[in-house]
Amino acid sequence: MPTSRDASELLSAALAGEGFLLFDGAMGTQLQERGLAAGELPELLCLERPDVVTDVHAAYVAAGADVVTTNTFGANAEKLGDAASVEEVFSAAVSCARAAGAPLVAADIGPTGQLLEPMGPLSFDEAYELFARQVRAAVAAGADLLVIETMSDLAEARAALLAARENSELPALVTMTFEEDGRTFLGTTPEVAALTLSSLGAAAVGVNCSLGPADVAPLVERMLPWASCPVMAQANAGLPRVEGGATVYDVGPEQYAEAVAPMLDAGVTIVGGCCGTTPAHIAAERALLAGRRPAPRRRRDCLAVCGPQRFVALDAGQVGVIGERINPTGKRRMQEALRTGNYDHALAEAISQERAGAQILDVNAGLPEIDERAAMLRLVSELQGVTTLPLQIDASDPAVIEAAVRCYPGKALVNSVNGTADSLATVLPIVARYGSAVVCLTLDEQGIPETAEGRLEVARKIVLATDAAGIPRHDVVIDCLAMAAATDQSAPRTILSAIRAVKEALPGVRCVLGVSNVSFGLPLRPLVNATFLAAALAAGLDLAIVNPESQRMMEVVDAWRVLSGEDESARSYVERYAGRTDAAPATPAAPAPLVPGTSGALAQGPADAMARARGLVLDGRAAPMAAAVRELLAEREPLAVINEVLVPALDEVGRRFEAGTFFLPQLMASAEAAKAGFEAVREACAASGESAASKGEVVICTVKGDIHDIGKNIVRMLLENYGFAVVDLGRDVDPQAVVDAVVARRARLVGLSALMTSTVPAMAETIELLRDQAPWCKVVVGGAVLTPEYADMVGADFYARDAMETVRIAGEVLG
Amino acid sequence: MAEAVVESYDIRSVERAEVLRYLGYAGQPLTSELDARVDEMVGRCLEVARPRGCVRVFDVAGRDEGEGAPVVRLSGTALELAGSSIDRHLEGAVAVAVLAVTAGMGVDAELRRLSLTDRVGQLLLDAAGTALVERAADAAEASVVARAAERGLFANGRFSPGYGDLPLATQPVLLATLDAQRLLGITLSSSLLMTPTKSVTAVIGLFREPRAAGRPGCAECACREFCSLRAAGTTCRG
Repeated sequence: MPTSRDASELLSAALAGEGFLLFDGAMGTQLQERGLAAGELPELLCLERPDVVTDVHAAYVAAGADVVTTNTFGANAEKLGDAASVEEVFSAAVSCARAAGAPLVAADIGPTGQLLEPMGPLSFDEAYELFARQVRAAVAAGADLLVIETMSDLAEARAALLAARENSELPALVTMTFEEDGRTFLGTTPEVAALTLSSLGAAAVGVNCSLGPADVAPLVERMLPWASCPVMAQANAGLPRVEGGATVYDVGPEQYAEAVAPMLDAGVTIVGGCCGTTPAHIAAERALLAGRRPAPRRRRDCLAVCGPQRFVALDAGQVGVIGERINPTGKRRMQEALRTGNYDHALAEAISQERAGAQILDVNAGLPEIDERAAMLRLVSELQGVTTLPLQIDASDPAVIEAAVRCYPGKALVNSVNGTADSLATVLPIVARYGSAVVCLTLDEQGIPETAEGRLEVARKIVLATDAAGIPRHDVVIDCLAMAAATDQSAPRTILSAIRAVKEALPGVRCVLGVSNVSFGLPLRPLVNATFLAAALAAGLDLAIVNPESQRMMEVVDAWRVLSGEDESARSYVERYAGRTDAAPATPAAPAPLVPGTSGALAQGPADAMARARGLVLDGRAAPMAAAVRELLAEREPLAVINEVLVPALDEVGRRFEAGTFFLPQLMASAEAAKAGFEAVREACAASGESAASKGEVVICTVKGDIHDIGKNIVRMLLENYGFAVVDLGRDVDPQAVVDAVVARRARLVGLSALMTSTVPAMAETIELLRDQAPWCKVVVGGAVLTPEYADMVGADFYARDAMETVRIAGEVLG
Repeated sequence: MAEAVVESYDIRSVERAEVLRYLGYAGQPLTSELDARVDEMVGRCLEVARPRGCVRVFDVAGRDEGEGAPVVRLSGTALELAGSSIDRHLEGAVAVAVLAVTAGMGVDAELRRLSLTDRVGQLLLDAAGTALVERAADAAEASVVARAAERGLFANGRFSPGYGDLPLATQPVLLATLDAQRLLGITLSSSLLMTPTKSVTAVIGLFREPRAAGRPGCAECACREFCSLRAAGTTCRG
């Protein structure tokens, strides 16, 4: 039966927020009542017992549901396996719903059942493909809408929503499931879910499953201000408990409807039920909706961006700090990190900027000699592991921007578009499609206008284009471009005028500025930067791109927040600064260098310095190590410090570990202390232009299918501390990727790790491929299940029973 | 038909000695720094973990010889328990409790963060997480014992896929039986590894007569050759 005109009008009104839509209730519990065994795929019943499925749907239609949800929750290619095709199940499932006389049929799409990278094995593209096939099957089967539900991973919900938007014209409604602490299993909050998914084009967002209606109510109320689409709620019938061997839910139909009423009052317009709800619950909701009109909603009209766990919202008059440090321009260590693929330095910058008070982190991977797209994707992914701050994707190549915002699990700020026709035509569609916010540079084909009026004109042109692209004004952030006062002393005043003019002429937009350019060429730059920042804030600047580790800059921001009224009653300011004077800086000064002669104490002599450094390694004390090594370097060559102090100390650690007088954490702590020592040597070398010799390169990874990387990380750490360069490919690595890395670097040694028996075959496969394409390369294997016999069986050259053994083997092969 | 119900466990401490045992500790003298880091990571683990679990009980429907190995069948679930070691473990059982517990994604997220910033910390937190999820499994087991008692039955010890010859391939149906992805957020990779990594699944036999609780001894354990605890002179039974 095709959808009637009434039904499709009902749907359009509901999606416009002008009417209600009533979904059905539980499918799983209803099927189990009809005899489905636990652990079976309920979706197969659409093919095997369509009568039973139709029966459940019909009961909900009779209860007054506008929409029935197909029995396709787990019907993806991965879960169905060989049991049935996705297309067969969706076709049968939609037929069951139609046969029940449903006014509207929503094709149900649940989670893939696997975790996405980086926490799990499934890539964003693989997840997308699983969903895309379901979406196409739903379209072919004639569904009226899609409901993507019970999501706990925001990245997965985004993949499903993108698959829906790019493979169909059907409206896609997305709901996530939360625990009682107001977060999903992966830590997403209702605000973040609403902001991200509605920006990405969800037809409705909401909460399903999780909890009973009284506990779901506060969660959807938290979504309402941040969703630019209708908000929906499908709660469970309370909490289940086991009673005499049966599970009972504690919220009956009347009580359920009573708890739904406040959600309607708050502005929710799409309701239904989840686990434990019955046709009686839906009937009670039908009665509740009778005669009601959708309640007016109040939306927050402000700049808001978010990562998967945290959001930042700036109301008019509030100021924000964007950390500028993850950018290779003029930063040698960041360049080195991007070139070598060892991102530890970038990650450490993220952590320290967050601690210093940054609210958003700018991420730039632009170096001419590297694959910027690949580097940006990896950087964005690894940053998720160390910070919850939202990211600002900073790239000039639209393809890099698109790759990053497509899989970024949140709402990113794109940096940047400018006023050239080319930039507007390539970047704005990306911003609109993925629902990002965007930084707009006031320059165009003619360059940067010299006057404030000129910059306003470019801004006007850009805003015309963002309006036309459907990008809301509060997501548009204008950068009036700071220029050096040293080259043009009128530039700072021009910029300040431009900020004022933009804020006045283009209501709703925000202003951002990379502040530190202004001081270029002047001494004591922080003082100039801070003064200019204060002036820019007074002119109406909303976001400052600065180095948050510069104490002076953060002090200006903190003080401004008092003066502007943002820091109510100066509470934060007082908390942070009470009792402080300018004479006592917040961060303690670096300890005085321990150079012989200045300390004056005999105990600080060179022989003692050696003993002390050795002792620090043996005790595993990393913190004082750098100072101890610097002291040694005053007397000795870098290579001597390595060969006479650090390596012998590590050897002693290795002997103790093998004798059982050290256990693993001690070995690692010692390695960590030695690493701090090596770094101090490296820094000294870099400062003097010498390079510390590497003992050779080792490629390591955990093989395909294995996600345990602790053992591999221990090996990496020890190898690095014995002076080897380690190329760490990570965990769950495809055999071909290992070969490619080995070939690209002509690496002479590869270390493969596997924890599970089930992944040993992947090890064999990797080695076979290596023998074929990189016959020069030796292979060492290790891991919990490995034995010398296994190592032989998979064709490895060496078996390492622990990390120390790997170091010995590396010495043998590369020495 | 009883659906699984989420239980949340109030675990406020894990035993330090157990954490050290997972790290292969055999009485070596510790520096005060390392000592403090163990405490710090145990504390961090307790802070980020959300220990949860769920349990379902099924009657034993029967047992057949299967293809080469015996199979225990349960009523009301597609779960089948194959192999001679689980067959022995459940010999005479009238019902079987199926359980899954997890320390939650917070521990994995913290481990990932530490893998990038502090690898000693990662190692220590990993051991603390193992100790914690075992505590959660103890708590779930206690809830099984309690439920058994309601029916006048007695429980033996927990037995996990991968022990003895009970195949790891039991995991997908076991987790589906508990609806563990939806209720606990436990997912399986194609190589049958669980995420959150600090998760435990197990079955426990319920009997009419009291049983000595027990796991398979080292003699029949598939892990014995690789076991670092044995090398350190202890066993996984403490």
